[in-house]
Amino acid sequence: MPDAPARVVFTSGFSRRYTGGVTEFAITAKTLRGVIKEMDRLFPGLGFHLEEETTIAIDGELYEIDYMQPVKPGAEVFFIPKIEGG
Amino acid sequence: MDDVVKQFKWVGTRPIRPDGVPKVTGRAMYGGDHIPAGTLYGRILRSPHAHARIRSIDTSKARALAGVKAVITAADFPDQTFDYIGPERVAVNFWHVTRNIMAREKALYEGHSIAAVAAISASIAAQALTLIEVDYEILPHVIDVDEAMQPDAPLVFEDMITRGVEPVPAKPSNISKRLEFGTGDLAAGFASADVIVEKEFKTAAVHQAYIEPHACVARVDADGQGEIWCSSQGHFQMRALTAQILKMPLGDLLVHPAEIGGGFGGKTVTYLEPVAALLSRKSGAPVRLTMTREETFKASGPTSGSSMWVKIGVTKDGKIVAADGIFKFQAGAFPGSPVMNACLCAYAPYDIANARAVGYDVVSNRPKAAAYRAPGSPISAFAVESVLDILAKKIGMDPAELRLKNAAGIGTPTIFGPKHAHAGYAETLKAVLNHPGYKTKLGPNQGRGVASGYWFNGGGESSATMEVNADGTVLVATGSPDIGGSRASMAIMAAETLGIDYNLVRATVVDTGSVGYTHVTGGSRVTFATGMAVVNATKTLIKDLCKRAAMIWDVDPEGVIWEDGFAKPAGTNVGDFDPLSLKDIASKSAATGGPLVVASSVNAGGQAPGFATQFCDVEVDPETGKVTILRFVAAQDVGRAIHPSYVEGQIQGGVVQGIGWALNEEYIYNAKGLLDNAGFLDYRVPVASDLPMIEPLLVEVPNPNHPYGAKGVGEVNICPPMAAIANAIENAIGRRMTSLPMSPPKVLAALELPQAAE
Repeated sequence: MPDAPARVVFTSGFSRRYTGGVTEFAITAKTLRGVIKEMDRLFPGLGFHLEEETTIAIDGELYEIDYMQPVKPGAEVFFIPKIEGG
Repeated sequence: MDDVVKQFKWVGTRPIRPDGVPKVTGRAMYGGDHIPAGTLYGRILRSPHAHARIRSIDTSKARALAGVKAVITAADFPDQTFDYIGPERVAVNFWHVTRNIMAREKALYEGHSIAAVAAISASIAAQALTLIEVDYEILPHVIDVDEAMQPDAPLVFEDMITRGVEPVPAKPSNISKRLEFGTGDLAAGFASADVIVEKEFKTAAVHQAYIEPHACVARVDADGQGEIWCSSQGHFQMRALTAQILKMPLGDLLVHPAEIGGGFGGKTVTYLEPVAALLSRKSGAPVRLTMTREETFKASGPTSGSSMWVKIGVTKDGKIVAADGIFKFQAGAFPGSPVMNACLCAYAPYDIANARAVGYDVVSNRPKAAAYRAPGSPISAFAVESVLDILAKKIGMDPAELRLKNAAGIGTPTIFGPKHAHAGYAETLKAVLNHPGYKTKLGPNQGRGVASGYWFNGGGESSATMEVNADGTVLVATGSPDIGGSRASMAIMAAETLGIDYNLVRATVVDTGSVGYTHVTGGSRVTFATGMAVVNATKTLIKDLCKRAAMIWDVDPEGVIWEDGFAKPAGTNVGDFDPLSLKDIASKSAATGGPLVVASSVNAGGQAPGFATQFCDVEVDPETGKVTILRFVAAQDVGRAIHPSYVEGQIQGGVVQGIGWALNEEYIYNAKGLLDNAGFLDYRVPVASDLPMIEPLLVEVPNPNHPYGAKGVGEVNICPPMAAIANAIENAIGRRMTSLPMSPPKVLAALELPQAAE
């Protein structure tokens, strides 16, 4: 489907803190920037936390936050917590 | 794969390493070797107590000593906001970092930095330390992770409330954080199992044991601008950490990379640079700080010790149906152990529908844990891979075949959500199963063990610049400190892309002012990410070369192609001109637009993980308990080996460190919480005479997201050895070792117990 939304998934810990415990969302966006903007619209301020606290897997491929990263229709986008190192 | 590799001229070959001569002749410059005129001797006063409140510090006598130019304590550092922030995959809390660099309210471990001096001689600096008066209130301490988790344990931080627990605990504890990852239905999974095994395990904290201790030289001038020369895994990281700790603008700090005498993760964090810079700012002179070996053990990060429980269920035909685990990790004196990695990697090689991993990050009175080669993953692998061995034995299946039956492939879900996007694990198992040594007969007291491991590998931000000299030679400059042969691999990839002789390319590692931001050499990211930056820069250079050739020939740029190191006429121009070499074009650079210089920066993603499977044969001396490694075979999916000798070296190095972790290495604390073996005589790392030849098996499943198929190769090799050796010992003597290190006294004690069914 050309406009199939991406399946956006958070870990349970992250969703408890920021999305009222909801772990999955259907988001239509062409890029990672679009996903983050839409999540920030749904939960104001969430975009900052996504950029500061997570890394990304799109269809299983791992990425750091990169606005221009393409998100294909129907893609699975997982936000994974960063490791604590300090 | 051979056919594919043969299409390359340089990728997959073994040219002589570019860093060899200066290292073997002793001329390579390491962290403390760059000494500007007038450099002062820095020394750090360290806590003699495992846990103590600092009532007061009186530095007046030290300041008054002739020859002392500066004395600092934590009061001289700006305090930091309590927050977890940071780029890439790691979040840093600078409130903790600044307290690790210099103790404030309390000394939290033996060796914790208390104050620092800079003086005109080493002896005066040492004398000054004796004149600093510290009034300590000695507090009860705790080292062991299980003891630190007890409700009545001495608290490292009196106000630390466990994160990740609901409802939020009312009382403080040493548990910094609880994590949980899971998938499927655990109860249903275990209900469908024919055989279930559960076991508890403990691992010792071990040091990265790099041969070069931490060292740096810093100079901060009266105008606030400074330079640092240091040995680290990331000079951009050292700049960022130092600037944040001292509240300096990044632009005021220039950090020069030195050669590095080993890091293995332990040199991704800072201990000395901000201290040396502050001493320099106060004294007005450059300051050199170096750790002794004792300081390196007592004050720089080991990896975590752990306490674990793992339960796995399988069907009679070998299908893993459920896995559960609790992983409790020592973080050291500040939060931030690699327990999350341990949870995420524990079952990652396998297709398990029902799984859970619970992690605890626990502080105690020992140095803050730092990264160590695939941080976290080797620890959970020891437990999981040991339990799998027991299960294989119980159902009468070869342990490698059990793993192969359950091997994750493309599309297999992980416990943290995403599906695997890359293959490679099954291929390592097949390499081991097909190895002639895997089926050879063993003698008395000998045993064979197999185990596997997983590591994410890294991507992220890297930069490269390239320049063509007038004689056609090429300079490649990156910001990635060369720990595992990156200068050679960068030169190979540039030569391959340009189509020129490898020997015409010189790769260097340059300072923070000479190339774009580049993240640390860690996470097995450099050949992948910095390699992409180099290849991208090379492609940009080729476009520029074609444009310059078009100007020389007075044709359209489309009428030029780049082939085998030459600009050649294309299309309607074919046959009209002789090909132009790099030298030909470089000689006309002034006339065609100026120097041939290009740059590229990437935020590389799509890295493929590393999978490894290893088997070893051991012999156990029943009289002494000593374990001798007879054979060690290490298969690893390396994507594509850009320089196979370096890749093999990475595998051999990781295995050797794993053997040390398995058999000998541990921190020995006395009743006062003080470290009794802070030196290589008593902290025993393997030496050449302890080891057989480690046989690497390079399995090449190229990563399509990298121009040459490269995958990170530096870390996953340390994940399997501990379990492989434990499994081999069990195979030899019928005793399951569940506590590391499996040193002679422990093996002897196990032999003295009656053999029990697992």
